[in-house]
Amino acid sequence: MSTDTDTPSEADILRPIRSTSKAYYALLAVVSVAIGLFLVGWGLQLRDGMIVTNLADWGSGGGVTWGLYIGAFIWWVGIAHGGIILSAAVRLLGMDRYKPVARLAELLTIAGLTAAGLYIIIHVGRPDRIVTSILLNYNETIHTSPLVWDVTVITLYFVMTATYLGLTLRYDITRLRDQLPDRFEPLYRLMTIGYTEKEDEVVERMVWWLALGIIILAPLLLHGGVIPWLFALIPSMPGWFGAIQGPQFLTIALTSAIGGVLIISYAFRKAYGWDHIITDDVFRGLLLWLGFFSLLFLWLQLQQIMSGVFAAPIDQTYATDAKLSHPVYWIAMGLVATTLAYIFAQTLRPSLFSLRRSVLAGGLILTATLLEKIFFVVEGLMYPTFGLYDAVPGSYFPSVIEMISIVGTIGIVTLFFMVVAKVVPVVELHAIEEHGDHDHEGDGEREYEFDDATEEPTDDHTTEANPEVNA
Amino acid sequence: MSTDESTSNVDADAEPEPEPSVVDDLHTDEWESEMQALLEDGDYDAELGLEMAKDAQRLVAGELDEADFYERYHEAVIDEFGVDDRPIAEAIEDADGDRDRFMKSLEELENGELDRREAMKKMGAAGLFLGLGTWATKENAEGGPDAASVAGDGEQGEGKQYGMVIDLEKCDGCLACVVACSQENNTSAGANWMYVFTYEDGHQEEENYLVRTCQHCSDAPCEKVCPTTARHKRTEDGLVLTDYDVCIGCRYCQVACPYGVNYFQWGEPDTPESELDYDHVYDGRDRRVDSRPPKGVMGKCTMCPSRQDGKMGEDKVGTTACEDACSMDAIHFGDMNDDESDPNQYLEQVREENPNDREDYPNRAGDTVSTFRLLEELGTDPNVVFVGNEPGPNAKQVEGPVKYEEIGEVDRRKEVLDDGTFAGGVSP
Repeated sequence: MSTDTDTPSEADILRPIRSTSKAYYALLAVVSVAIGLFLVGWGLQLRDGMIVTNLADWGSGGGVTWGLYIGAFIWWVGIAHGGIILSAAVRLLGMDRYKPVARLAELLTIAGLTAAGLYIIIHVGRPDRIVTSILLNYNETIHTSPLVWDVTVITLYFVMTATYLGLTLRYDITRLRDQLPDRFEPLYRLMTIGYTEKEDEVVERMVWWLALGIIILAPLLLHGGVIPWLFALIPSMPGWFGAIQGPQFLTIALTSAIGGVLIISYAFRKAYGWDHIITDDVFRGLLLWLGFFSLLFLWLQLQQIMSGVFAAPIDQTYATDAKLSHPVYWIAMGLVATTLAYIFAQTLRPSLFSLRRSVLAGGLILTATLLEKIFFVVEGLMYPTFGLYDAVPGSYFPSVIEMISIVGTIGIVTLFFMVVAKVVPVVELHAIEEHGDHDHEGDGEREYEFDDATEEPTDDHTTEANPEVNA
Repeated sequence: MSTDESTSNVDADAEPEPEPSVVDDLHTDEWESEMQALLEDGDYDAELGLEMAKDAQRLVAGELDEADFYERYHEAVIDEFGVDDRPIAEAIEDADGDRDRFMKSLEELENGELDRREAMKKMGAAGLFLGLGTWATKENAEGGPDAASVAGDGEQGEGKQYGMVIDLEKCDGCLACVVACSQENNTSAGANWMYVFTYEDGHQEEENYLVRTCQHCSDAPCEKVCPTTARHKRTEDGLVLTDYDVCIGCRYCQVACPYGVNYFQWGEPDTPESELDYDHVYDGRDRRVDSRPPKGVMGKCTMCPSRQDGKMGEDKVGTTACEDACSMDAIHFGDMNDDESDPNQYLEQVREENPNDREDYPNRAGDTVSTFRLLEELGTDPNVVFVGNEPGPNAKQVEGPVKYEEIGEVDRRKEVLDDGTFAGGVSP
């Protein structure tokens, strides 16, 4: 099988570090504005209190007490699962085709978890007390509070992923050291402290075990565990309660994770001309996974609808009816269904595949999951079992400050990638070293690449996704 | 507390060598280990208890004089439990009532078909409980093994548990309690810790009211989910409170509470800090749990802990602001575990006033009074008992005789909060 693609070189993966385009500065400006707006909004919230949000007390108060912040928190944790999927594929299942995007996905995990952690801080009324109040009472609260379980597992997940990333970076940094900028010398020295070639084999095994640990921890305990349990364990909120939330949350998380990886991969490929590194094959494969998880996502929704409408208890009937009569629910489900339909179609007719469309699919899924998560949180609180208050169901629409937080956290995640890409290689050296062995369908795929033939690096695709996400 | 000392006392005082008796061969190893296990469940000296149990059996068998029994254990028990500073005679006198009943039941058992040994085995244990029960009086509320708790009697909880009996049939929806609560606690507009509302339920003609305080649940979901222990249940009286100095304002308690009794302090409180009374804000433990919450933390009905701790004057102990304000005598606050408390007495009185016709229909309940606890099926074990109709699952609030606006209060808090929402609130 022949291919006219250049063989990937070290120069290729060093390109983000060595060259900085105008588009980079433009994006930096946009991102800074987004983060700036967010910080101003948060500042106002710290000054005036949570009253700047549109949240209120449920019950006689006529509102909901959790809203966009918690929805976005779950969304970011979901996106953070990108690293897991790719690490699982590459490290444990030996699916080397995804190696070029594995590190990007792992970085997405770090960034996503950071954004999620930030949302916990933004969400509470007294962020200044988080450390003292939670840590000092940890030995007691860990037994009963799902929120403490969340903080615990997320922290563990973060530490494990960071360790994983740190270990694999040592290999690359050591080998590419001469070509890396001197101004970061202290950092490189710190990261490669005590490195010898003998450790490669050991590290290889360590990361395998770490990957295994993370793969068990993140889907089964985090997004199929403590995150849904925040809701699924509350019997007085029928829209939340029940055993299905574990699998449901996990499938939603995995779709958004793949959506995130698709967008990040596309952005880097476009920006640095990495067509031969992050090949179409990667996108096709990711799309298939996306389709699979989208199908599960919708199927689990069907389960909930059926049990909610057939002969459910009164409170659950109210909750399900309300869900089914709200446009946001159908918009979210429609977006997932559309994505699924496209993926199915392009599997049957490969000519329907294009990079732009795959990225669009990723964007649609991210929009759908964000809407679904916020809707899930809000609807649950609107239809409690104890619904005889006149002010139940309450009303809620996110305030400007709340909505800006989404833009701000996307800005922070984008900035994270822009900064990291200037410091360390975001594609593993292993990926190009072994790229030659990788057998991808050359001709078959190039045929359909007419779509992304633009020469100018336009590395702003992550922000392009913003308007969709905020819609 | 020296266990060794107390048991050696017992040994020294014990009669040197009790005559071989029917009791001795009851003291099998099996019996001992059984008793030991039973006693070790409690916090008290198992050996002492075992000695007492043996002697209680001797007492029953008539081998030991009751005065001797008390004399023998008086000191040891004081050492162990730190109670019983009464003269021995008085203690015996007090115990007499119990003892009489105890002897009587033994006699009954003897006349019956029960094997004497079996009976003595059982009664030996019972005698122990009798002994402990007599000494460890209920006043020693810090977990003293009163008769009920040692015997594992789950009928009534241990210690004090504040709660209310609210007679919905007496309520006329005047909202005086709502006003009293908000004035006492300086809560912000719409934070209706006490919320009274009228509801319609299907075809019921009459007006139904619900007086919704915090239910101060024995198994409070809000306390369970709190990531900080700010939301806690006071050990001394079972009030569910929020420590305003610990709360981080995550609002999970509000999410987990099935009743919707929590009101977050979204913005600056209507009443500034400087206008609060220090004695009202801090309870007897000097924790900041009473009065309105500061910005960014959770508040809810407290059932007035600073009153209960005597910080608002002795005359206010055992009362709440809403109870004081209720001219219909619908609200009765007190210890739900005490039969003599105001709420329990009231309940008994209402039951007595509404007897059922049991002469013609002997299978009927003793009275016609309907009582319920809100959403009991959720397992929260709430401590507010309502007299009146229980709202059904389709019940819905309707306009009441007195509107919140008419008495200077706010019903739907969101309307006030929307003024503070950045760029205006949107309520679709």
